[in-house]
Amino acid sequence: MSNALRAMTGFGIIGILLIGVGMFQSWNVALAIFNLCLISGVMALGVNIQWGYAGLFNVGIMGFAAVGGVAAMLTSQPIIYSAWQAGGTGILVSLVMVLILAAAMIFLSRKMRAGWAKNIVMVALAVGGYITIRNVFDPAVLAIESDNPAKSGYLGGLGLPILFSWLIGGVFAAGVAWIIGKIALGLRSDYLAIATLGISEILIAMMKNEDWLTRGVKNVTGLERPVPYELSLQESPRFISWVEWFNSSSLSGLSDDARAERLRQLVVEGSSIFVKLCYSGLFLSVLLIVLALCVLALASPWGRMVRAIRDNEISAAAMGKNVTRRHLQIFVLGSAVVGIAGAMLTTLDGQFTPSTYQPLRYTFLIWVMVIVGGSGNNLGSVLGAFIIWFVWIEAEPAGNWLMENGTAWLGDDSGLRAHLVDSAQHMRLMILGLVMLLVMRYSPGGILPERTRQN
Amino acid sequence: MKKLLLASTILAGLTGAAFADGHEVKMGVILGFTGPIESLTPDMAAAAELAMSETAGKVLDGKTIVPVRGDSTCTDAAAATAAAERLITAENVVGIMGADCSGVTTSIVNNVGVPNGVTMVSPSATSPALSTIEDKGFFFRTAPSDARQGQVLADILKDKGITKVAVTFTNNDYGKGLAESFAAAFQATGGSIAISAAHEDGKADYSAEVGALAAAGAEHLAVFGYVDQGGKGIIQTSLDTGAFDKFILADGMIGDSLIAAIGKDLEGTIGTLPGSESDGAAKFKEVATAGGLAKNDGPFMPESYDAAALMILAMQAAGSTDRAAIQGKMMDVANAPGEKILPGELVKALDILKSGGQVDYEGASNVTFTEVGEAAGSYKELVVKDGKFETVKVR
Amino acid sequence: MIDFLNAFVLFSNFVLVPGIAYGAQLALGALGITLLYSILRFANFAHGDLMAFGTMAVILFTWLFQSWGISFGPLPTALLALPFGIAITAILVLLTDRFVYRHYREIKAVPIRMVMASVGVMFLMNGLVRFIIGPNDQNFMDGERFIIKARAFKNATGLNEGLALKSSQALTIIVAIILVSALFWFLNRTRTGKSMRAFSDNEDLALLSGISPQKVVTVTWIIAAALATVAGVLYGLDKSFKPFTYFQLLLPMFAAAIVGGVGHPVGAILGGFVVAFSEVTVTYAYKKLFTYLLPADYAPEGLLQLLSTDYKFAVSFIILVVVLLVRPTGLLKGKVI
Repeated sequence: MSNALRAMTGFGIIGILLIGVGMFQSWNVALAIFNLCLISGVMALGVNIQWGYAGLFNVGIMGFAAVGGVAAMLTSQPIIYSAWQAGGTGILVSLVMVLILAAAMIFLSRKMRAGWAKNIVMVALAVGGYITIRNVFDPAVLAIESDNPAKSGYLGGLGLPILFSWLIGGVFAAGVAWIIGKIALGLRSDYLAIATLGISEILIAMMKNEDWLTRGVKNVTGLERPVPYELSLQESPRFISWVEWFNSSSLSGLSDDARAERLRQLVVEGSSIFVKLCYSGLFLSVLLIVLALCVLALASPWGRMVRAIRDNEISAAAMGKNVTRRHLQIFVLGSAVVGIAGAMLTTLDGQFTPSTYQPLRYTFLIWVMVIVGGSGNNLGSVLGAFIIWFVWIEAEPAGNWLMENGTAWLGDDSGLRAHLVDSAQHMRLMILGLVMLLVMRYSPGGILPERTRQN
Repeated sequence: MKKLLLASTILAGLTGAAFADGHEVKMGVILGFTGPIESLTPDMAAAAELAMSETAGKVLDGKTIVPVRGDSTCTDAAAATAAAERLITAENVVGIMGADCSGVTTSIVNNVGVPNGVTMVSPSATSPALSTIEDKGFFFRTAPSDARQGQVLADILKDKGITKVAVTFTNNDYGKGLAESFAAAFQATGGSIAISAAHEDGKADYSAEVGALAAAGAEHLAVFGYVDQGGKGIIQTSLDTGAFDKFILADGMIGDSLIAAIGKDLEGTIGTLPGSESDGAAKFKEVATAGGLAKNDGPFMPESYDAAALMILAMQAAGSTDRAAIQGKMMDVANAPGEKILPGELVKALDILKSGGQVDYEGASNVTFTEVGEAAGSYKELVVKDGKFETVKVR
Repeated sequence: MIDFLNAFVLFSNFVLVPGIAYGAQLALGALGITLLYSILRFANFAHGDLMAFGTMAVILFTWLFQSWGISFGPLPTALLALPFGIAITAILVLLTDRFVYRHYREIKAVPIRMVMASVGVMFLMNGLVRFIIGPNDQNFMDGERFIIKARAFKNATGLNEGLALKSSQALTIIVAIILVSALFWFLNRTRTGKSMRAFSDNEDLALLSGISPQKVVTVTWIIAAALATVAGVLYGLDKSFKPFTYFQLLLPMFAAAIVGGVGHPVGAILGGFVVAFSEVTVTYAYKKLFTYLLPADYAPEGLLQLLSTDYKFAVSFIILVVVLLVRPTGLLKGKVI
């Protein structure tokens, strides 16, 4: 099959499956799955930029998604003036001090000659600076966190519409990626994997514990939405008349009471479907824009260059290409796309909860999407995201169902059966690992392999 | 076409259970069946389902309430909302008993419960932040807010003459919220907090945490965590290193498995747990034993029973299985006026409601809802004596 | 003088003793990683879960022995089960090598492919362990728990501070010393060990001189499995067994291997202790210690904690970054990765 046919079949099957869920489970569930498919698609594109274009093995996807989430929260939450009054100055002063310290250290490390004297000065500067900054920073943090801790206890955000945050999330993630890339990209590829794994965990730890900035584990809930609220829709006469019009055939022929009752149910159901559709529209446009940009970039001379670097770093370097610089560029771009997806996810959830970020769900699942879909192929990554997300969600009921029925012959009081049924949820991990290994070995290109056009 | 057929067969298989006959009404039970409190939730669900089986075939015109379980995971908001979404839109539950942990509960209320107009009664979400959530009146809880528990703990310590404690809390909204409300209350009574440090659940080693706690120089350690998680590790490490041997525990730490794991070193430990030694609590134990439950006094079991019972009674009072109608009657059945109802008397309550009377559900945990729909809450002061948690008094 | 003794006992109890035990556990794990790296030339992400699998196998045998009424006197039964657990784990790693890694060796894939494959294996093992034993805590320590109890120490010495020494801590140190000596003897004195070192130094040359690569790979995997199982069991005896924690050990173990110098066995041991002690000393609150050491007037008010314990695992990572920036070969000049 040609790639185009494969892509059409793949998306077709997913479409049919989603419609099936809509008909047999509910349209709300189907749309919820679809929305997360779209977000996963954007995230997978980000990973594909790094892995497929440049062969960078970034195992810190979770961290960048979380940075996007922080951006969504900080952009949309209102400013909390009392907290700024309590400790804003201290935070700003310590921030400036950090910058000065970093500048001083960079300056000295360039100016001084290597040797014992330099090491001692650097360590003294670092320790001394750290203690001084902590002395300014700690009281400020304490002041902010004790400002109405049950409801706020943090600095708040910028009070902008949350849609801006998708862009800001990308910028934040790009900034973090730049710093990480500067440190880690010069070294061999295994190291990048270890470094990103560690950094993503540290980013999450900071979000959990720096309450003054993110409210930490107390979570920020009730983020503002870019789409209407269900309850206001349910009260809006226009929306009700839409629903009435849309369902006029099923409503006709009912008695007045039954009709009003049925209409009310339809309005409630319709309102949450409508909200989800609004989200779908937004996410789909982002996905299409990012996808189009990725396709264009890959086909451009720049795309050829990065693939040349990926396939043979040494000869690309010999041709005068700056490999480290390109790698940094791609790392930053890919992370920015992941950051955008992370901000979208937090927008959809309507809350920022640092403890939900787990490497399994936010790093490795995305990786499996890219590998299964086709590394190096943008459309393939998106297809992989759709398929794997659908499997991930439906694996739980399917796994339970299989275990329940597959072990029925053991009898109800069998200890082994009880154990197998209880462990069904862990099948997810095994299936995921197995799929990843099988695809890597037997179909290294994935469902939609990368096309290499030979001119 | 073949694929379509295949897909629809699979899906039909998955959702086969969704078609029920007219005599069954579904009620969601969303608890963290996996995750940090997975050892508590089976008993909580069993208690809630006890209220449903007690009224089987007696609600409205002979309907039976059947439970549909969903996993809140206690920590993963996305998984919890997905489960709630499935229960509400695909299974068409009339109300939800749950969720359990405060974080996921907030997420379900905001994203699924309120938008779909489904009544939720949580037996164990105790975060103070839930008191002010914009729930349009759809969220209730039979567990009191931690703002109250912090106060009760502070009072107990004051009575015992303890003026300085080290506090460690599980690093989530429950632990942090409780630690903050306790600190405020304790300092108001003149006590001082030597150190308040978080611990992360699911770590194997807590010696660094215990080392820091011990260095602060307090003799008592207050542990606000989970009995199956870091809390246990902290206590074990404290005893092993000789850092602390006097502990103060909050509700999440109360469980027989703790005593089973630690042993006699726990003797004299103080704790608090929502609940009362009222007639209702005693009655609940009888009902639970008679109903064949594995336990009759597990944490949050009375609250779970009450949460389900309240929704069933509200359904009867409303005279319909309509979601909005149930919500409208919740306050009426929970509070005075009306005849007081204890556990095991649900059928009697249904009969009173059917004949147009009023009930004031007391239940196993002395339910009285405040204006925002949460239990005002009494707490049991516990002490470990002869290898068991014993109730000293009710506050 | 009493104050000084108190301070010393306090420091030993909370920093020295736990640090040494933890360091030894990390060192064994890091040794496995470094060995695999130098022979198979990839960073094994599945090592944490390999430890979990090995420990699980040992726990299952321990339960079996316990059900037969076999015990090891004051020592934990798990020690008896250890050889059986190692055997099972060795079979598992050889199977993964046969079905996963060998293919990539044969096609001479870039190392990053091997790393990715090891991530896949990590998943598989992760799921397997949870599937068999579940995700919960398992405490399988039996026998005598303490050599010195904190309270008994206080009573015996009359000091304010207690010193506890768990038998699992002592056991960790003894077993680690025996195992590491055996490993070094094997690498330096036996024929197979020497051929492994030759293979690690220069693969082509080793092949030329007739060393069988398959044998070297097999032996390496078996040793790595043994080291991982022992490290996991010692860690589990000392703390407790929980699959997720073992996954999280991956980062400090990698840090230890890299800090010491990848491919350098002595470096891995050194790295293990460096990482363990940094974690403990940086997050320890020194208030009480200085209260003993300093005159009463100068007693500190703050906690004197350099970094909150929330960031404990960040420490290993920070060391990693600093070492890579300042001295990329590690403390003992290993290979640059």
